[in-house]
Amino acid sequence: MYKALVCCRAGMGSSMLLKIKADQVIGENQFPIQTEHGNLDSLMGFDGDLVITMDDLSAELKDKVPYALGIRNIMDKAEMKAKMEEYLAAKEGK
Amino acid sequence: MLNNLISEKLVKLQIEAGDWEDAVREAAQPLVDENKIKETYVDDIIKGVKEMGPYIVLTKHIALPHARPEAGALETAIGIATLKTPVEFGNKDNDPVKYLFCLSARDTEEHLDALAELVKLFEDKEFFGLLDRTTDASEVICYIDRKVKGRETDV
Repeated sequence: MYKALVCCRAGMGSSMLLKIKADQVIGENQFPIQTEHGNLDSLMGFDGDLVITMDDLSAELKDKVPYALGIRNIMDKAEMKAKMEEYLAAKEGK
Repeated sequence: MLNNLISEKLVKLQIEAGDWEDAVREAAQPLVDENKIKETYVDDIIKGVKEMGPYIVLTKHIALPHARPEAGALETAIGIATLKTPVEFGNKDNDPVKYLFCLSARDTEEHLDALAELVKLFEDKEFFGLLDRTTDASEVICYIDRKVKGRETDV
């Protein structure tokens, strides 16, 4: 099981909606990913495997976290599924 | 629930805005007037977008302007604004933005159900059809009320 932090700047708006949609995609596909949510401050001391965030933020996070998964359109389940599969494939490959 | 956080006074339809910043300020103004947020909260929304990019644009044509609670969220609430002429936020996937849902949130637990309802509304084509058509805020509130209550009785 991989641990994902879903975050945005405030930890209130985007990240909550993103978590709702991410959990739907994870559930439908039974991906081994578990989500929690927070703001950018919760990144410090985060010991999980990946960070899911809006695409604009993910570029900034890339160097600071193990893996940054950036979502462009939160309502696009196909995009989210493809990006999670990409992440899982990268993990399995190691 | 969502219908408890939105009220007629927080709905502003077919507003005219020159650019994204103007659109955010216009959309947030009813929340300032109704004592849901302080002016400083609006400033923090603008600052966030300037610093981090247009991450508040969540999906096609929809933005969720919001800031950190400590920036001046007084009471949890959601405003709805539509623009007469859509504006660019600089988000190449989802521009131009026509609908703004300004969120004031004091803590995450309090509004979790409401946000889940909001996500369902984002998928509701009929709802956006109504937003495009009407200039009557009470019609929008009635629609949301009916949807939310309809779902409750479905369970």
